[in-house]
Amino acid sequence: MYDFQSGGDFERDLNLDELLTGIDKSRLISALNVLLDTTVGVVDDTGASVIGDNSSKTVDRVPLHGELEPVGFLQTRTAVPSERLSAAADLMQLILRCNARYLLASDIHLQTQRDDFEELQRRNVALQASEARYKKLSESLEIRVKEQVKTIEKAHLKLYRNEKQASVGRLAAGVAHEINNPLGFIRSNVATAASYLESFYEFNALIDNGASSKDLRKVWEERELSLLLDDFKDLMKESLEGLDRIAKIVIALKGFSRIDQTETERADIDTIVRQICQVAESQWQQKAKLVLELSSENPIQCQSAQLGQVVYGLLGNAVDAIETNGIIRIRTAVRNGVVVLEVQDNGRGIPEAVLAHVFEPFFTTKEVGQGTGLGLTVCHDIVKEHGGTIEIVSQVSKGTRVTVNLPVQNAIQHSRES
Amino acid sequence: MAQYDESSQKLTIKLVYYGPALSGKTTNLMRLHDILTPDMKGELMIMETADDRTLFFDLLPLGFRAPSGLLIKFKVYTVPGQVIHDSTRKAVLSRADGVVFVADSQRTQSVNNGESFENLAANAARVGLDFQQLPLVVQFNKRDLPAILSEQEIMARWEKAPWPVLFSSALTGEGIIETFKALLAAVYRTCDRLYRLQSDHGLDCDSFIAQTLGGSLSSARG
Ligand SMILES: Nc1nc2c(ncn2[C@@H]2O[C@H](COP(=O)(O)OP(=O)(O)OP(=O)(O)O)[C@@H](O)[C@H]2O)c(=O)[nH]1
Ligand SMILES: Nc1ncnc2c1ncn2[C@@H]1O[C@H](COP(=O)(O)OP(=O)(O)O)[C@@H](O)[C@H]1O
Ligand SMILES: [Mg+2]
Ligand SMILES: [Mg+2]
Repeated sequence: MYDFQSGGDFERDLNLDELLTGIDKSRLISALNVLLDTTVGVVDDTGASVIGDNSSKTVDRVPLHGELEPVGFLQTRTAVPSERLSAAADLMQLILRCNARYLLASDIHLQTQRDDFEELQRRNVALQASEARYKKLSESLEIRVKEQVKTIEKAHLKLYRNEKQASVGRLAAGVAHEINNPLGFIRSNVATAASYLESFYEFNALIDNGASSKDLRKVWEERELSLLLDDFKDLMKESLEGLDRIAKIVIALKGFSRIDQTETERADIDTIVRQICQVAESQWQQKAKLVLELSSENPIQCQSAQLGQVVYGLLGNAVDAIETNGIIRIRTAVRNGVVVLEVQDNGRGIPEAVLAHVFEPFFTTKEVGQGTGLGLTVCHDIVKEHGGTIEIVSQVSKGTRVTVNLPVQNAIQHSRES
Repeated sequence: MAQYDESSQKLTIKLVYYGPALSGKTTNLMRLHDILTPDMKGELMIMETADDRTLFFDLLPLGFRAPSGLLIKFKVYTVPGQVIHDSTRKAVLSRADGVVFVADSQRTQSVNNGESFENLAANAARVGLDFQQLPLVVQFNKRDLPAILSEQEIMARWEKAPWPVLFSSALTGEGIIETFKALLAAVYRTCDRLYRLQSDHGLDCDSFIAQTLGGSLSSARG
């Protein structure tokens, strides 16, 4: 009997039993009995009985062909005319062939189904394996990416700190120049004053030697000692002013250099601006005029050294944007509870395409060694930390205005707390 | 490989007509069934759908006895050419002893021919057949149609290939026997090597072919 469950190899030769699968054998044999008008039996190619009565002796026998060879025989108990017998065999062969078609079709169907299923399972296993591989890979990738990001962040932080330090360095160079100037004239003033003292010592010696008041007056006038005395006073006054200026610069520098400052203090923006301008003056001296319009008045709670950095950075960019005959305007004001700081220049301006990138770390249009591309990044970060905003409006070859808004609420809150 | 059944003295050889859809594989088999007259010829079993597309396969059984008494039995199959029936094509191709690749000569069918040939190579590999060793004959069919590649064009393309290339018109039967003979010659070589047809069974190549074709054709062999 044909095994539908496991199916078979569609190429194998089917035996008679298999070929009769699904066929009502008793109906088949009774039909044959009636057609041939005798008792009919069917045996397979080994002689084993398959259907009908094959127990007693048979008279006639005709082969039933499978594909090529006989798969069995049709046999009768009594003689039957040969053409009727072969017609019956033919009929049966037609039935067997029909069934064979069906069996072969179901065989190959089952086989391809099984192959497809196995293929699917194989692919599924392969897929799961590769999925696991990718999962592992992506995990290790994630770790590697995190490490890389950390390294890059460290490097950035270092460069970022360097930029802050460098701005202090650049400032220090300017400061040296600023201090040198008063130092120069103080030294010369003091030297001149010291030389005046000689004349007075000589005059004092005349007094000690008991010179007459007439002689003394004569010498006083000859040596123009009154003039010397007036001049001496001027020299001292000028020197004191110079010293005051140096003191101021030192104070400004001291405040500005505290770049790692984290605690806030009460400071007013106008003072910060003035101090920065004072120490940085040498940077624009030849090519630009500085106009200060400062009216922020109230001190706010802030990190003053950091805000100094902002002013210094914006001022530096403005100076860099100017070729000659520039005007740099720094304005401060309080508008709607916000301290506004504006640095405006009439320099070359920023093209739109460049403007989109200026706050990005390391973005610079300046020559190597000139710009770090961190200036505005640092400014942005400091302003953000103060809860403020920074905006740039620019027109190519007309100039640039950078506006920093710092909320005063910040300051109020802090001052209430303290 | 051919199945050799020692106890019943039978060697079953499997031949497969492969190729793109509608190239004429089934028609080839029908012509073989009409023309061949070997000692044993089974009925042609055609399993196709109403629109004449082969669904599973077609099968033509043939056979004759070698002088030794060995029954040489051929099972000649066609595969379904339609792309979607690839699993069936693969199953029918497995264990093939020889293949006729039926190409369609029409110019418009060049791409289909190429894809089907690649599919044959790929499926041969999947079912573990050594494509380089496999007896293979290439048949360009439908020579009777107008818009076809010329023989020169075809030969220029196939001249470097190791397989015999034949031209046919299955509709009229032209070239069908020549193709089959070329395949039988190639198949004989491998079967003789494996089953010593000449020495053990007294069967040389010429009579192997002649007996497969049958009496009426054997005289026409050249
Ligand atoms: N003109 C012409 N038509 C042919 C020739 N051979 C086959 N055909 C026709 O092409 C059509 C397809 O032939 P088949 O033999 O069924 O093609 P097949 O390769 O078995 O197709 P599938 O079973 O779908 O793979 C039929 O209409 C055939 O009559 C030929 O040599 N010339
Ligand atoms: N006031 C300005 N005028 C014109 N361009 C400016 C101005 N401020 C900034 N930029 C542009 O923005 C870029 C980035 O500025 P910044 O972050 O300070 O870096 P750096 O000054 O080191 O280049 C500058 O290279 C310049 O192209
Ligand atoms: Mg800058
Ligand atoms: Mg077909």
